[in-house]
Amino acid sequence: MCAAPAPGHRAAIHRVLGIETSCDETAAAVVDGGTTIVSSVVSSQIDLHARYGGVVPELAGRAHVELLTPVLADALEQAGSDHTGRGIDGIAVTHGPGLIGSLLVGVAEAKALSMAWGVPLVGVNHLESHLFASLLEQPDLGWPLVVLLVSGGHTLLIEVTAPGEYRLMGGTIDDAAGEAFDKVARFLGLGYPGGPAIDALAPQGDPTAFSFPRSMPGDGYDFSFSGLKTSVVNRVRKEPGAQTADVAASFQEAVVDVLVTRARRAAADVGARALCLAGGVAANSLLRTRVSQACADDGIGAFLPSRALCTDNAAMVAAAGHWRLTRGDRSHLDLGADANLRLVSTV
Amino acid sequence: MRLLAVETATALVGAAVMGDDGAVAERSHLGGRAHAELLAPAIEEACASAGCALGDIDALAADVGPGLFTGLRVGVATAKALGQALGLDVLGVSSLDVLAAGAREEAGAARSARVLAVVDARRGEVFAAAYDFSTPGSGDDPDPADVCDDRAEALTPEELAAWSDDLAAAGPVLVVGDGAVRYRELLAPRPGLDLGLADRVAAPSPAVLARLAARRLAAGVAPAAPADVVPDYRRHADAAINWEERVPVRTAPSTAP
Ligand SMILES: [Zn+2]
Repeated sequence: MCAAPAPGHRAAIHRVLGIETSCDETAAAVVDGGTTIVSSVVSSQIDLHARYGGVVPELAGRAHVELLTPVLADALEQAGSDHTGRGIDGIAVTHGPGLIGSLLVGVAEAKALSMAWGVPLVGVNHLESHLFASLLEQPDLGWPLVVLLVSGGHTLLIEVTAPGEYRLMGGTIDDAAGEAFDKVARFLGLGYPGGPAIDALAPQGDPTAFSFPRSMPGDGYDFSFSGLKTSVVNRVRKEPGAQTADVAASFQEAVVDVLVTRARRAAADVGARALCLAGGVAANSLLRTRVSQACADDGIGAFLPSRALCTDNAAMVAAAGHWRLTRGDRSHLDLGADANLRLVSTV
Repeated sequence: MRLLAVETATALVGAAVMGDDGAVAERSHLGGRAHAELLAPAIEEACASAGCALGDIDALAADVGPGLFTGLRVGVATAKALGQALGLDVLGVSSLDVLAAGAREEAGAARSARVLAVVDARRGEVFAAAYDFSTPGSGDDPDPADVCDDRAEALTPEELAAWSDDLAAAGPVLVVGDGAVRYRELLAPRPGLDLGLADRVAAPSPAVLARLAARRLAAGVAPAAPADVVPDYRRHADAAINWEERVPVRTAPSTAP
């Protein structure tokens, strides 16, 4: 394609603009050298989707179109750049997995900027970018790592032996962990998003009040949260007087117990030097505490990205993009979006 | 003036560049739903064909619909980002106006004195507008004064047929657009409706969009700042969430600790 910038057009990749629109956050960020966040702007659509108890794809796509111009302007200005892209050496954009109508908005924007500014473009896997969120705060993480990626859309255990070298160890066979939080919070009348609501209420309740099931399907590293959600619903129907805080605390205890048990075993089985959290559910207070404890007990590192880097953001996209652009990866102008893009090793 | 026009409202995806001499270079594809993959290369190729770089462009136009939601988002997001990056405002143009202008170009003034432009809205509905160029002083362009009726929401084919009968009662109507093609069997037999150009003017054309936008800009129509350009959806968002199973809401929440 004639659009590929001439080799050596801008020899070194220092500053990368990241663009993220895979779900309900419209985000843009500039990262220098792959690890220094120069600017990071995230415009959340939570209020827009709250009354539906979840992300409405068509509403999300429409909101991205309205938000992309101001979010980009803010990210460039805070980075000391401007609309001409001064100082930007490359553009990275999430092209999957996620909501197709949302992904396409960011991909279209990124390609237009790449054409107009004459800088290279690379499409980034959203899951890979979550893994790079950790490197933004701790560039010298040792390998191998086991990453527990937990969000509203994903529950994955991934072995990382080096940047770009991934092995999927396990995933959920039904609901994602964040989805279970949303559904139970909705049932309990706690609103959306469910994770922060339950996290906030649980300390007021007794986590041993109810013994909810810890489902761990198979002998491997898979998860299942659908039965837990059903169990909560059935139990509360049988006991209408149950205190919501006790239910929330007991439910959270069960989810965290399952996540930590499986992640800990995965880390031990591959001889990981550290266990790393990623994704929106990684902001959960109890999960962070339990992972820290477990890793201390097992004598391995625990890496818990700051809450801002757990949830969707564009700094992690720029960081992943910096790594890809530096190793020579380029996307062409015919880049599309793939709602089901898989995480594959580059080696 | 060098104007770049971006067209993604229907299954036709493309771009056109009008040079200083008024000549238009167009690249377009019948892309189905691959708007994102096809648009950016079409822009590059249209620029190359017109012998200019994107940096030489000094006016932008985009079809803002009504049409396919995903296509519109790709086109509008692209136009907004180009406008932002190049420091240019964007002229949003209705897909129905582009169809009517295309009908004028193809049919000549007499046959296209009255035009019904119909865009396939999918899900068994259409978006449509009717134009009357026969009034004295009306130019060749579908300007707001020529739009005798622009239905603000999606119509069923039956509503469209009843409306077109009313229009035809006042004289012949040239019906164009992919909505006319889809519902040809319903519309073609009706007296006074001319569907003879429906296939040739099935989709809004990037070149027609470029010419129409250039005339509007020359006439003093102001383009909008990139932040203010939005698609004309004409339909509320489908607020369905694909939970595998809806979780009931607890009827008597007990929130006291
Ligand atoms: Zn995410």
